[in-house]
Amino acid sequence: MPYSAEISRTNPSCFLFLIDQSGSMADPFGGGEGNLKKSDGVADIINRMLQNLVIKCAKEEGIRDYFHVGVLGYGAQVGPAFSGSLTGRQLVPISEIGNSPARVEQRNKQVPDGAGGLVEQAIRFPIWFEPVANGGTPMNSALRQAKAIVADWLSQHPNSYPPIVINITDGESTDGDPSGAASDITNLATADGNALLFNIHCSSQRGQPVVFPSTEAGLPDQFAVQLFRMSSSLPSHMAAAAASEGISAGESARGFVFNAGMIEIIKALDIGTRPSALR
Amino acid sequence: MEVHAQEFWLPKHGSSTAEYEDASRSRQPRFAVADGATETSFSRIWAKQLVNAFTRGKLNVPLAPHTLRPLQTRWQEIVRLRPLPWYAEEKAQSGAFAAFLGLELEVLTDGEQFTPSWKATAAGDTCLVQVRGGEVIKKFPLERSDEFGNRPHLLCSRADVEVPPVSNCIGDYGCDDAFFLMSDALALWFYSECESGNRPWEILRDLDTTDARQTFDELISDLRACHYIKNDDVTLLRIDVY
Repeated sequence: MPYSAEISRTNPSCFLFLIDQSGSMADPFGGGEGNLKKSDGVADIINRMLQNLVIKCAKEEGIRDYFHVGVLGYGAQVGPAFSGSLTGRQLVPISEIGNSPARVEQRNKQVPDGAGGLVEQAIRFPIWFEPVANGGTPMNSALRQAKAIVADWLSQHPNSYPPIVINITDGESTDGDPSGAASDITNLATADGNALLFNIHCSSQRGQPVVFPSTEAGLPDQFAVQLFRMSSSLPSHMAAAAASEGISAGESARGFVFNAGMIEIIKALDIGTRPSALR
Repeated sequence: MEVHAQEFWLPKHGSSTAEYEDASRSRQPRFAVADGATETSFSRIWAKQLVNAFTRGKLNVPLAPHTLRPLQTRWQEIVRLRPLPWYAEEKAQSGAFAAFLGLELEVLTDGEQFTPSWKATAAGDTCLVQVRGGEVIKKFPLERSDEFGNRPHLLCSRADVEVPPVSNCIGDYGCDDAFFLMSDALALWFYSECESGNRPWEILRDLDTTDARQTFDELISDLRACHYIKNDDVTLLRIDVY
């Protein structure tokens, strides 16, 4: 059965995030988040996802290298987007990521006070990735660079749980049709199945949020349709995880999210990065 | 009647013995096995606390939620003693989780009548099987292989997490009975073998005896290699009554 390979320190898996850093990412979030810039929201999402992955792999003795993780930015330029001591690195073992945030901010979150109310609690928020909004949207180049990185990783990990590439964009590629480059990624495979490509579309268009749709019907423009078509089908264990989170994901559901708010995107990414079995 | 208990265990393939997160303990007439969840941290400590507390009579059948409190407080103290990096601190805040099974053998007295009986308590998918006369006469708390899932009800080291439903059971025992207390990977294999008409208890019964065809480590390695059991920590506590 595909997508069932055990993930362990000797057989790790891989996540590669592609982040649209074009000038239009300075526009506000379309998902109803007020004046928050898309670039700021996406930076928070990526930092939160990296934090979640580190914590998922944390044990009392340290962080187990179940994953190798990379972040590629594409805007005025295309390339690795970690800040701090990881600058310039492509795929980094998760233990190194956990031990090398560029900085750790203090933020507040609201937690139940035990008496029906909420209180603010200070939390540590590590930062690995800074918001950028500058230049065009060279999605095609980013996907090609991602394909090269994933192909190289696969040559060293042929039996791994397949790599997952997650592309977060506000839509329109400015360096040509990215569909071919997307197919090149999803045609790569390990013994456990094809590499997965998921797309998060943070459109500036007004439109109903859509999470893990099974059909392109109802998507508002050709860019959303194109990203839907580029997206892999959700493996069954992820569809089941979505269902347990109250997200309806049919048998042919794709790893595609349109215009969702930050909380929904983080929830979708958590499902999309949920491994089958960590050992 | 005499009771002899023997523990067998093996960590996940690829993990060291220091990373083994199950726990088992025999302190007649009490026996316990716990299975710390891999996805949580400090679960090895929590699993050990549970089996130690049960075999010392600090936890009983039926397991009362308030009796977990002192253990939860102690777990927090142990974790707080260590200087932790941000990720370990964050992870520890979620608490540790473990499946648990405790068995107590006793002799009920009714006038001049003495009846050897047992009682057990369980949370999650750590299982007990009782064999008598070459047949399985009890499986507890799960009874079929399709009841094993990825989200068993586990005991948490955090006091503010609701204690899941705990199952309790009683039975009798006699000479030549055997009890097998198993963490989930081995229990699932055992149940599947039974459902296929096989007699897995004969293999486990012979371990570390002159009749044994292989050691426990060899058996588990073979079962893993054939994908008959998942790669998990494996624990067996075998109790023979003579």
